[in-house]
Amino acid sequence: MTDIALGLGRLGRALRNQGVGVTLRDELDAADALCLVGLADREEVGRTLRIALKIPRFDLATFERLLGLFWSDEAGVPPAAPLRPRQAPAAPRGPALHWDPDARRMGVAHAAPGPGDRPGWSREALLRRRPFAEEWSPRDLVAMERLLARLARRLATRRGRRLVPTRGRGRADIRSSYRRALRTSGELLSLARRAREVREPRVAFLLDTSGSMDAHTRFLLSFTLALRRAAPSAEVFVFNTELVHLTPWLAAGKVQLSLDRLAAAVPDWSGGTRIGECLAAFADEHFRRSPDGKTVVVVLSDGLDRGDPALLAQSVRRIRRRARKLIWLNPLAGDARYEPSAAGMRAALPFVDHLGSAHDLRSLEKALAHLVA
Amino acid sequence: MTPEIQELLAALEGEGYVAEPSIATALFLARELKKPLLVEGDAGVGKTELAKVLARLLSTELIRLQCYEGLDVQTALYEWDYPRQLIRLRLSEGRSEDSQELEARIFSRNYLLERPLLRAITRQDRAAVLLIDEVDRADDGFEAFLLELLSDFQVTIPELGTIRAEHTPHVLLTSNRTRELGDALRRRCLYLYIEHPSLEKEVRIIRTRLPETREGLAGEVGRFLQALRARELVKPPGVAETLDWTQALLRLRQDSLEAGIVTQTLGCLLKDRHDLQAVTASDVAALVTLAREAP
Repeated sequence: MTDIALGLGRLGRALRNQGVGVTLRDELDAADALCLVGLADREEVGRTLRIALKIPRFDLATFERLLGLFWSDEAGVPPAAPLRPRQAPAAPRGPALHWDPDARRMGVAHAAPGPGDRPGWSREALLRRRPFAEEWSPRDLVAMERLLARLARRLATRRGRRLVPTRGRGRADIRSSYRRALRTSGELLSLARRAREVREPRVAFLLDTSGSMDAHTRFLLSFTLALRRAAPSAEVFVFNTELVHLTPWLAAGKVQLSLDRLAAAVPDWSGGTRIGECLAAFADEHFRRSPDGKTVVVVLSDGLDRGDPALLAQSVRRIRRRARKLIWLNPLAGDARYEPSAAGMRAALPFVDHLGSAHDLRSLEKALAHLVA
Repeated sequence: MTPEIQELLAALEGEGYVAEPSIATALFLARELKKPLLVEGDAGVGKTELAKVLARLLSTELIRLQCYEGLDVQTALYEWDYPRQLIRLRLSEGRSEDSQELEARIFSRNYLLERPLLRAITRQDRAAVLLIDEVDRADDGFEAFLLELLSDFQVTIPELGTIRAEHTPHVLLTSNRTRELGDALRRRCLYLYIEHPSLEKEVRIIRTRLPETREGLAGEVGRFLQALRARELVKPPGVAETLDWTQALLRLRQDSLEAGIVTQTLGCLLKDRHDLQAVTASDVAALVTLAREAP
């Protein structure tokens, strides 16, 4: 029995090291289950462990491999499972985003005297049309963040299908009304009402940080971050040749995030693009684990892809299947002459609900409307 | 293989459910450990059917709760029969009835409408099979509530007190993975993923469920389906589709697959526009040739 316990403990730890979520409780279940079946049959032990440890399907290969390592006839010490290599803080690669400690905002440091010094001028109105590719002063950036925060708040007011009791207007709730009437010996004096609950939006942003997007990246990133402040459940990913899940870096308390560290975490910043592979990785690893048909997926990319368009199309299709909506924002689309002719963009287009431009704030504002709808 | 599991496997087959050993193992463990069983898998692999067969096997009632977004406790657990309570109140007016007694009466079990979850734990004679279908469609709030119910199998009704399960029901939860379930709920259950059946299993399923199917046709259908599923499809056809299609072929008096008929009846298998477009007539012809080649 102690052998089983020991073996299970080791298997559990090995699984955890490989990123398969197995808890102590699961190990206890597995121990209980193993008491019920024959231990001589390898197949059966494998099945039992899979059921009791609740191994999800996409982790099945890992599980089988580890079980193979642990299941040896000479019941010796199982080989120590290799630890998953921790990501070392690598030296920043590529041009890191600039961090100006005085401005406390990301962006270009040298503040050119802007047109904002003239009276009777609305900074916001101009900002909205200002292409991201131009240089922005720190003051502009502050104003932009304020505007973004306001836009983003609109996001947080989507209504779900569930009806919750309300004091205001809403559908009459006959059941509660009757229940309330019991208090007044059956006289219906007032109607109880229910209305659709307010739902936190689920949004996932995938931001292209490849070289061709360089001019836009900073602003799109700050746009995403501002949105995240309004809707903390939003997930943020960046990709170029590899997909990086940014959300953990943006956890509460880390709002003053060091962009150098961020740049270090993102391999090949401003490098090439493999949109297809990155989107496939998103669909496989991340979106698979949180598919709910409620998430709006926003891809911010110019669609200039060096990879295989077929793979891109397939990935986009798979994401679309699980998402509530797929929005593609393309900075190039701001140009009136723009046509989605890049191979990547053409491949993705049939599965995109809305293709919008993302070259200035006004276009992002428009895109927001699609997020909320 | 453990004898009990072997027995269960045979019993399932006796009820017309051709099961993989893992399915029988999961049912056996769930029964012995008295834990709910969470069943996942593509649409049409027989998740719901498993609960039905289990109920037949245990000759007990199958209580089914279909989940959907916005499902609330009144529909899932219990509700007071307000109209009847009100009538009772009205009738008692004018009569000098002890108010406490009256209250106890209108808040008794007689005036309680049992919804599936409550019915499952109040069954007197034997444990029921409780099928909580497509639990991923309900919202997180309901999931949390379910968690509580599944851990204690007791329900507290403020006016009545706590109702404990007479017999712990056999609980099966199914999920299509339209949304990832909370970790806590998953941990509370045992977990079974049902794969699409192997060729040999599929042929046996066809022969068991549709005995009038000739051996040759069943084999061809099986091989066709295996090849079809190997393609990248939005909605791979499940066993349910296989059976529908075989039935359609039987109705059309087909003894063997033939490209023309297959194309016409492809709608029985592929229920997505993209899939139907992706599988062209020449693809069908190739698949049919492949299926008709003797193994």
